[in-house]
Amino acid sequence: GDSWGIFTFLCAALCNLPALPALNCSEELGAGQSIQQTYDLTRYLEHQLRTLAGTYLNYLGPPFNEPDFNPPRLARAERVPSATVDLDLWRGLTDNARLAANYRAYSRLLCYLRVLDGQVGTAELRHRLAHFCASLQGLVLSIGGVMSSLGYPLPTGPAGPPAPSGAPVASNDFLKKMDDFWLLKELQTWLWRSAKDFNRLKKKVPPAVVTLRLEARGF
Amino acid sequence: DSHIQYERVGADVTMKCGSMDWDAAVTWTANGTDIDESHLNGSYLILKNVDLSQSGQYSCYEGSSWHLKYQTSLRVGTPPKEPVLMCRSNNYPKGFYCSWHLPTPTYIPNTFNISVIHGTKDMVCEKDAVPKNRCHIRYLQLFSTVKYKVTLTVTNALGKNFTTLTFDEFAIVKPDPPESVVAKPVPNNPRRLEVSWQNPSSWPDPESFPLKFFLRYRPLILDQWQHVELSDGTSHTITDAYAGKEYIIQVAAKDNDIGTWSDWSVAVHATPWTEEPKHLTTEAQITETTSASTSSFMAPPTTKICDKGAMVGSGAVAVCWTAGLVMAAYSVLFI
Repeated sequence: GDSWGIFTFLCAALCNLPALPALNCSEELGAGQSIQQTYDLTRYLEHQLRTLAGTYLNYLGPPFNEPDFNPPRLARAERVPSATVDLDLWRGLTDNARLAANYRAYSRLLCYLRVLDGQVGTAELRHRLAHFCASLQGLVLSIGGVMSSLGYPLPTGPAGPPAPSGAPVASNDFLKKMDDFWLLKELQTWLWRSAKDFNRLKKKVPPAVVTLRLEARGF
Repeated sequence: DSHIQYERVGADVTMKCGSMDWDAAVTWTANGTDIDESHLNGSYLILKNVDLSQSGQYSCYEGSSWHLKYQTSLRVGTPPKEPVLMCRSNNYPKGFYCSWHLPTPTYIPNTFNISVIHGTKDMVCEKDAVPKNRCHIRYLQLFSTVKYKVTLTVTNALGKNFTTLTFDEFAIVKPDPPESVVAKPVPNNPRRLEVSWQNPSSWPDPESFPLKFFLRYRPLILDQWQHVELSDGTSHTITDAYAGKEYIIQVAAKDNDIGTWSDWSVAVHATPWTEEPKHLTTEAQITETTSASTSSFMAPPTTKICDKGAMVGSGAVAVCWTAGLVMAAYSVLFI
């Protein structure tokens, strides 16, 4: 009961924090962000994630670090945004919807990762996670930049996870590890999907040069 | 009435002559040929340690009337070994196919049953007409985090066996090799070869799921391949070919982001453009001038010796040449 409240608060706090340093980063990213660069970022992140996931799963220990580990998906894990989508639906997404789905997903995934960062034991893991979070934030900003340049509004709504659906936070150590496992899995799948999303966008939309006007957006 | 009987290789088989008593007088035949009485135990036919060659039609006839009392087709075989299963998506994102075979033959009919489970859902793998041991599945969802589990069971009259494959959607993506690979020389460029190819026709959507390519080439006379990776386009110009040498060239394809490389394409051969050889007499003159200048440079003393000999004939000239060379060798030594 109470732990869920603390969790939501933590997430909300951590997710609003980076708004300030983000201003500085965005000015660097401001010029010349294109869909191609966003695509390249997803590939870079996917590569980074492989190392991070390997280290993290080893930290969780067996069975999470076993290659054959194929657990059933528990309902609770639905809190993490899923990349899975119906094939025809995915094909038919408008550019706006496609970009928005990516933006929302990575914003929330970033949030969950940040909570993770606060909890892990080893310094090496904390360092890796921090680095990854920084890159992931870069991706979110990059997608936002593409959307702005195309005249699409940035998706609104809580930057943190949605209101609790009634599912309790993992009080059990094993269930918590399962949540972490699925978080990493979804992140990996999203990065694979994004490569395909941005491939599609590349073909349909010419590379956009973006000048971010973050002040105007009230960031 | 007729029967079929399946037995394992190495087993001992006892065949009864239908409802006939043990002590009845009968004759057994194997594929029409009488079987020796030594194999009989009363009216029972005993076959010990059967092998594949003993498969066939066995018939039992009543002794005197020669009535056919019993007939059976004996099939000697083995229970199935663990089958070999392979699943691959060469048409991503449409779906994937699985194909299978037995590592060793069983010599008797087998039935294959394949099941595909995706998370909690059972999926139907539609069997292909051709080739036979193959089925395909259409993806309903893309970018799935849940693995696919494929189980293949093979059953025959003597036993059963099975194998399982578990994989992620992305792991099995492997396109077919590129098609229509063509390599041509480039006029007036003795070190170039122009290579072009096409996306495999089984890849349904190269626009949204672009392929990247790997080209390898080497002259036939060398073993070492040279490689080029190309992230765009379906053509490439080789610019470092050895002049006049025949090359062998192959191309492979891969989805830009996921899966593994295709097999190599069919190999094509090409030789870079070479200049046409000039008129023959010109060449001969060049050789003559070269040798004449060499001889005059090499051994001045010999010209004195040879001057007289040169008039006599070709034989004398040959001797002269040899003498000149020997003199030249000695003069080099002294230098």
